[in-house]
Amino acid sequence: MSVLHRFGGIVAVLLVIVLMSLAMVVAGTSPIDGFSALLTGALGGSNQLGETLVATTALLFPALGICLAFRAGLFNIGAEGQLIVGALLAGAAGAQMHVAAPLAIAIMLLLGAIGGGVWGGIAGWMKARFNANEIISTLMLNFVAASVALTLVSGPLRGPLATGAETAWLPPQYWLPTLIPHTRLSAALVLALAIAAVLTWVFRATVFGYELNAAGEAPEAAKRNGINIARLTWLSLTLSGAIAGLGGASIVTGELHRFNTQLSPGYGFTAIAVALVGDLQPLWICVAAFGFGILESGGLAMQASAQVPKDAIHLIEGLIILVLAARRYVATRIEKGQAA
Amino acid sequence: MPALELRSIRKTFPGVVAVDDADLVLYPGEIHALVGENGAGKSTLSAIAFAELKPDSGTVIAHGTVGLVHQHFELVGRLRVWENVLLGREPRRGWTIDAHAARKRVRDIAERNGLRIDPDAVVETLPIGVQQRVELLRELDREPSVLLLDEPTAALAPSEIESFFQTVKALAACGTAIMIVTHKLQEVMAYSSTVTVMRHGRITATMPTASTTAEAIAQAMVGGEIPKVAAREERPLAPCLSIRTGDISLDVRSGEIVGIAGVEGNGQTTLADSITGMIPYDGTLSIERNGRPPLGVIPQDRQAEALVLAWSIVDNVMLGRQQVLRRGALLDRERARTDAQTIAQRFDVRAANLDVAVKTLSGGNQQKIVVGRALIDEPALVLAYNPTRGIDVGAAALVQSRLIEARNRGAAVLLISFELDELLAVADRIAVMYRGRITGEFERIAFDRGAIGRLMAGLA
Amino acid sequence: MEILSALIVLTLIKATPIIYAALGGVISERSGVINIGLEGMMAAGAFTAAIVSYATNAPLLGVLAGIVAGGLAGLVLAIAATRFKVDQIVAGTGINLICAGGAAYGLVLVFNQPGASKQVNALGPNYWVLVVLAFALAIALQWLLSRTPWGLRVRACGENPRSVAAAGLDPLALRTFAVTLSGALAGLGGAFLSIGELNLYSDGMTAGRGFIALAAVIFGRWNPLGATAASVVFGLFEALQYVLQGKISWLPADAMQALPYIAALIALAGVTGRVRAPASDGVPY
Repeated sequence: MSVLHRFGGIVAVLLVIVLMSLAMVVAGTSPIDGFSALLTGALGGSNQLGETLVATTALLFPALGICLAFRAGLFNIGAEGQLIVGALLAGAAGAQMHVAAPLAIAIMLLLGAIGGGVWGGIAGWMKARFNANEIISTLMLNFVAASVALTLVSGPLRGPLATGAETAWLPPQYWLPTLIPHTRLSAALVLALAIAAVLTWVFRATVFGYELNAAGEAPEAAKRNGINIARLTWLSLTLSGAIAGLGGASIVTGELHRFNTQLSPGYGFTAIAVALVGDLQPLWICVAAFGFGILESGGLAMQASAQVPKDAIHLIEGLIILVLAARRYVATRIEKGQAA
Repeated sequence: MPALELRSIRKTFPGVVAVDDADLVLYPGEIHALVGENGAGKSTLSAIAFAELKPDSGTVIAHGTVGLVHQHFELVGRLRVWENVLLGREPRRGWTIDAHAARKRVRDIAERNGLRIDPDAVVETLPIGVQQRVELLRELDREPSVLLLDEPTAALAPSEIESFFQTVKALAACGTAIMIVTHKLQEVMAYSSTVTVMRHGRITATMPTASTTAEAIAQAMVGGEIPKVAAREERPLAPCLSIRTGDISLDVRSGEIVGIAGVEGNGQTTLADSITGMIPYDGTLSIERNGRPPLGVIPQDRQAEALVLAWSIVDNVMLGRQQVLRRGALLDRERARTDAQTIAQRFDVRAANLDVAVKTLSGGNQQKIVVGRALIDEPALVLAYNPTRGIDVGAAALVQSRLIEARNRGAAVLLISFELDELLAVADRIAVMYRGRITGEFERIAFDRGAIGRLMAGLA
Repeated sequence: MEILSALIVLTLIKATPIIYAALGGVISERSGVINIGLEGMMAAGAFTAAIVSYATNAPLLGVLAGIVAGGLAGLVLAIAATRFKVDQIVAGTGINLICAGGAAYGLVLVFNQPGASKQVNALGPNYWVLVVLAFALAIALQWLLSRTPWGLRVRACGENPRSVAAAGLDPLALRTFAVTLSGALAGLGGAFLSIGELNLYSDGMTAGRGFIALAAVIFGRWNPLGATAASVVFGLFEALQYVLQGKISWLPADAMQALPYIAALIALAGVTGRVRAPASDGVPY
């Protein structure tokens, strides 16, 4: 393995710094001012750190879901929609329920997983049954999810006192406990890290994880060696969606305390970059999610002080994806050069 | 004047010297055989001659164009014959292709070379032997002064081979220099005028074919004695595999190796896929397990169908054995490692350790892992599809020996091979497949190369 | 009657950008590269067309600039997919993010406002030229692919690039050109969105049309005319939501927005099992 390959994460970080400096210079700010604004905004105090970890959590769920699907060779770009459906179900139930608090939270999280799971499962079923391209179907389902959510929370599910398209607020006893006092950081982060640990174990030790990896790496060999590809396809897209949906529910009970159509600023898409930068390894994805969390929360501060729009981050994400993907090729070329 | 000169050619790939200081000269009108084991550097050298690869050092001087007929045809199945033949040199009328002229041109080249072909046929609907004609026609259209043929008879029936070489001889007689890359020594002896032997990237001998023997060439290829395969022991026979479909009635008993002879594309893949459950079939198919796992499979394409190339040897040894290695929801990796050790030892797998990715191993070592994995759980039935294709003589002998030993221990072995010689050497019984049906069966004592060859060509 | 003619006109308008992107998808996939980046290439075209028209007041220049911008995005995908052997899906996803993010960034740089551009000079009533051109290009492309040497080579390249190499041609060059052209067409589709149908660029205005176009490619069996017909069907569903708005009381307008996407999903499920993609579609050479 070449240095380039092993330190892909570091390469990505350096690349981010260079690109963002460039963006700041173009916008007429000095990179030093820009980055100090970014870092202060993201890590400058417990409040800022809390917001960074809130963003980390919100990215981590869909990134882990995407990781599971990608490992099986399925390109789930519908995490956004799966997250929305999960959040919608959790928010709708939470606003209507009257049960004991811990049970209510559990029900909301479960409904989130079910909602996301169904949404991912539709694409999985379409792929397994009709061989329908999952890239297109998961993306179409994003739009359908957005439209369903908008329809419901503008109408039947709209909170009586709501100003925008959102449900009623959850009663405070239905909120996930906070981790750092006086911040919005909830126990959802612990749940996300636990899922990362479980996924690592599933990939390393279980028959299901083994078969999933085989199907992703070499589908023909997998099919011919006793692996039921159709079952694996719908199952992994369902689980992938369930994890993303769980993330949606955790935003509802842990962060916003209601469902709102503006709940995700594209977490499901940024999570694709998070999963790829984390090299599809759950533990590295946690690290990558923290890095992107810094960008998400510090980006707002940077936008205010350095005039670099937060959306420029998508541009940088895209470039990171391209460069990281190309680095494998560059690394093999270098290896070949060294060997010859 | 030579048609093609290769001087002091050297070519390296990561970690290996593929061709080392090779000199080769081809003259107009000669049929030059290039022989050697798999991995000896034949394909690399012919790719350099065709200018598909650049040598690290050395010179290539070609007088006129060089054509190459690939072993795995480079054709487009969904396009017509004429579209394949004239791709890149399409006759035009204004902006468009002149299809009328194109058909005529293809028909003309075909007739000139005594090849029958319908220019409008869609290539994927044609039998393999005819597809090869298409590949040949594409090269002939360029009127090459040098024609390289890479394992040209691999997919041909014995009778087709004869007529194929008539065409080749006629081309040579017209002044084309021909080089045949092959491992079939009877063809070398029967049709070539000169033979060059390669071993470990070097050219070890170039001589007139008339002055040598097949045995001498074989020894020069291997660099010593040709390895022997294991001896067969008498075994009591008991029913194991029984297939009854509309086209096929076949029994394989435990303690015997049944060979399926046939030219590629005569239903062998359908047969194999029916047994492995990849495709549905009409009729009945049963395997007597005799207290063993039912089936061990050595698939046709080890890289695509048998291995996960990016994975380690240990991880690959688990593939297809998930049920054997399952402990609840978990996989028993310790046992997989022990199994991998056993396989590496029994099959002499040459690898730094068991955790290297199998893609870094040679084809022979990869195949040893595939065969080892198929045999390790002592299955009742072993299905082997071209198990020695593309591996060196030593590895092939080892694979054949292990199959015979499995039979000696009571396994039923169904061996599908496109190499009649392999079946004659290893099988207890040979069934011939032609157009999806079994057209004849021969017991070992009644093996008859001529009769089997005629059935393979559909002549009997 | 009035509703019907309104529906037809609106269908054609809504179908046009999808047709351009779908034609781009057909060329790219026939050459063997899956262009997941169509969406981003449309956004690149839409954004560039708007700012060039804003800067020059010449919408025609805007359209040309949109074509160039889409082509450049296509070239990036082509180089990534051919020379660098990057996974085509990953590269396309990267392109989508780059184009959407770049346009959002550009809005702030040029107009000093996020979300949408200022109003720019648009094609106005001349937009119909681009509608007609879409159908003309579909016919031209069908002819090019089926009748010309270039078309034969592209098709061969998508089926088996090694056959193209064996014929002495460069499959990577063929693919690079095809994917660049694919991006240019998607860029033209994007330009139609921003300065043909409307007179500004706003974030997210492509709204998944690049992906709907990919569904149209499959639905149209990788043929330019088939993909065009499929695009018209998807355009019809998009148009329906406007025409039916307020006419069906039980179905809220917000829900009707999902119509074209659901139509694409159904098409995808109903058709893919029965069609055959180019054999080397998505396989790097």
